[in-house]
Amino acid sequence: MQPALNLMFSNTETIPGTTIVESMGVVTGSTVRAKNVFKDIGAGLKNIVGGELKAYTELLQESRNEALYRMLSEAQSRGANAVVNVRFATSSVAGGASELLAYGTAVTVQ
Amino acid sequence: MIEVVLMIVIYSLLSLSPWILSFIGTLLYQPAKKKKLEQRVQNSVRGGDNLSTLSKPLSGKEVKHSQMVMANVVMSPSWVQLFIGFFISIFGGEIRVFTKVVDWARCEAQQRLRESVAAAGFDELINMRLETTMLTRARRGEDKTSGVEILAYGTAIKY
Repeated sequence: MQPALNLMFSNTETIPGTTIVESMGVVTGSTVRAKNVFKDIGAGLKNIVGGELKAYTELLQESRNEALYRMLSEAQSRGANAVVNVRFATSSVAGGASELLAYGTAVTVQ
Repeated sequence: MIEVVLMIVIYSLLSLSPWILSFIGTLLYQPAKKKKLEQRVQNSVRGGDNLSTLSKPLSGKEVKHSQMVMANVVMSPSWVQLFIGFFISIFGGEIRVFTKVVDWARCEAQQRLRESVAAAGFDELINMRLETTMLTRARRGEDKTSGVEILAYGTAIKY
């Protein structure tokens, strides 16, 4: 997929085992995705029986990684080496698309 | 005469087949899955649960390595459950069929988190958060709910 960025990130206030030196402000990354029609039909069939919709699970996982990657690359362009307090937010936009947002505080740690 | 009867039987079976499937799914498939999940949960929490919502590890040991881990699951209720849910929502009160569905999904997401933490060789996961989202699908210009997504995420740590 994307090249791995050499940044630490965590959803706690600090990266455990390090100290924060400087804060670079809030960084965000988001993506809006829709599933394709065939997967939608497959999910519709699975809907009859109920249970997990694997296609959607994978799709959301992929898109969340993408959002995370965008957030991390913004942090890197600001010169940070870690992102702390990462939060996720998801909302459904009209037309079967979902928006995935990742945000956090870019910091320099030692 | 017999052909007409046969036609009617086949026709009604075909048109009812989604509902029959839905009944099978609700009465057999979903409970079986739930039982399997309970087994998995019991196996992995035997020596103490490795998930916690605390922002610092309780043991106070020094942390060598940390990484964020997440797990998600999308699940949908079956037609039968939707039908029952719609029926109960007329009168109000707890809709137990939906409670079960969401409970299952949340349990599954947490279990996946537990398993991925253990598989990556981490000792514990701190600051776990759960998030729920509705997924919609466009149909005839309307947005219909097609599933519920549960996301569980946290920081995995290694001593």
